[in-house]
Amino acid sequence: MSKVAISVREIKKSFALSHSGAASLKTALLWWKKKRIEKLEVLRGVSFDVSHGECVALVGRNGAGKSTLLSLLSNIYKPTSGSIEIDGKIAPLLELGAGFHPDLTGLENILFNGMILGLTRKEVMERTPAIVDFAELHNHIDSPVRTYSSGMQARLGFAIAVHVDADILIVDEVLAVGDYAFEKKCYDYIADFRAKGGTILFVSHNPDSVRKVADRCIWLAAGEVKMDGLVEDVLTAYQAAGDER
Amino acid sequence: MRENFKELWRFRELLFAMVERELRIRYKNSSLGFLWSLLNPLVTVAVMWFVFRFLLGNQTDNYSAYILAAYLPFMFFNMSLMDSAQSVIASLPVVKKVYFPREILPLSAVIANFIHLCLALVVFFVFLFAVWATTGFQVAPFTWKIAYLPLLLIPYLALVTGLALLISAYNVFYEDVKYILSVALYLLFFVTPIMYFSETVYYALKNRPNGQLIYTLYHLNPVSMMSTAFRKALVPPGKIEVIDNGVSTMIGPRPFDYGLFAVTVVASFALLFYGYHTFNRMKWRFVERP
Ligand SMILES: Nc1ncnc2c1ncn2[C@@H]1O[C@H](COP(=O)(O)OP(=O)(O)O)[C@@H](O)[C@H]1O
Ligand SMILES: [Mg+2]
Repeated sequence: MSKVAISVREIKKSFALSHSGAASLKTALLWWKKKRIEKLEVLRGVSFDVSHGECVALVGRNGAGKSTLLSLLSNIYKPTSGSIEIDGKIAPLLELGAGFHPDLTGLENILFNGMILGLTRKEVMERTPAIVDFAELHNHIDSPVRTYSSGMQARLGFAIAVHVDADILIVDEVLAVGDYAFEKKCYDYIADFRAKGGTILFVSHNPDSVRKVADRCIWLAAGEVKMDGLVEDVLTAYQAAGDER
Repeated sequence: MRENFKELWRFRELLFAMVERELRIRYKNSSLGFLWSLLNPLVTVAVMWFVFRFLLGNQTDNYSAYILAAYLPFMFFNMSLMDSAQSVIASLPVVKKVYFPREILPLSAVIANFIHLCLALVVFFVFLFAVWATTGFQVAPFTWKIAYLPLLLIPYLALVTGLALLISAYNVFYEDVKYILSVALYLLFFVTPIMYFSETVYYALKNRPNGQLIYTLYHLNPVSMMSTAFRKALVPPGKIEVIDNGVSTMIGPRPFDYGLFAVTVVASFALLFYGYHTFNRMKWRFVERP
């Protein structure tokens, strides 16, 4: 179990910045005339390891690059440079509605998301009742997801992610939107998941939940790891930096 | 390309599920829905038949079968490209949050339309038999050339898939692609032998300077070539009314040009490879779209 679950080495990611908004052939032609491509460097060489069974919290101000980092780990983006190695099956929960199609019903979204996360059709079918139970959405499961409240979407997303037998859970600010009872259920599940040796990397703005579940905390500032260590130390430094401003 | 293909294979179940969903939405969960979806081509053909046969008095044998044999494949071409143009951009919110091979989106649009075409062809055969029965069992409803059908469907599918991959990728970055596409498809309908026959074109060009060249160029359009080929394979040869030297004459179908057909087949597979390659090159930037 000593092998690392997530290994991130010198990750850099930059985006092309556009001021023109919607893309069209016309703007493309105008662009070609101007030849002005601005680059925004969001991650500037981030490195860290997460061991198997570890629970790591990621903190940092808005725009620090936390979501970008999690998207890179979830194979949504390709890094500009650097390497990412992941050992095990990963289940990402990136923000609300984690990849739901708004016009599909809850059940259809369970099928598609389950298959996207690597289950076979048969496996998804078998687990659907358990997922619906966990999300407590019995009355709404045949309605389109666009009719769901943000808390309901978060519940469904979390319920699917925890039923695909992932080894690594990646969570971006999702847990804050459920109600109290569901939040408790999630933390119970997370404790259970950790007891079985699962690995978690999550973003949270809530110092209490970071203290409650994380064994380690990484502070990301302006696309760089500012601090990486014990939860209490990092949170203290992070909060002190926040108070200064 | 090998790697990408392996990855796609790993996600094949997702692809099949997406195809199933597209068909289910189109047929609104009922088998009657499939028949409803045939209403458009049948009404179109009925109107064309009315205009050409009744109003203009064209005497071509089995006119409606000739139209259907070209119109059904053309509808597949049309709908596949329109659906796939929207496929990636409409799913962008999902694409930004979960990973799966992005080519599944245009591919499922094409495959769903392809299955629809195959079902429509089955109905087309029923139609041929009905014509056969109502005309007193004279001319056989089809000939052995029907065996060529798979050899036509496969390159046609390759052509459509290649174009669908290209269009869906470019439409993410340039939103006017789909408008240009809809105009292009509208115009394509007129330069493709659907309402009329390649024989009509041949006789109209026959005595013109460079007529042969124009006729060849006309069939370098893969959709025209395929349209002519589908007619050859699906409809037994009958007499076609054309204008030759200003005189209306009934002629037999012209022989099939295997050379030009080979060009279309090669071009179709080349386009498939080019489209797949381009899509894979662009797909990682979909989520970074400004
Ligand atoms: N697709 C994109 N194109 C351009 N800029 C982006 C894109 N995605 C994120 N950014 C920029 O990257 C920065 C970091 O964003 P993000 O990772 O979401 O921050 P966080 O989650 O830490 O609040 C922000 O300045 C944001 O504007
Ligand atoms: Mg964020």
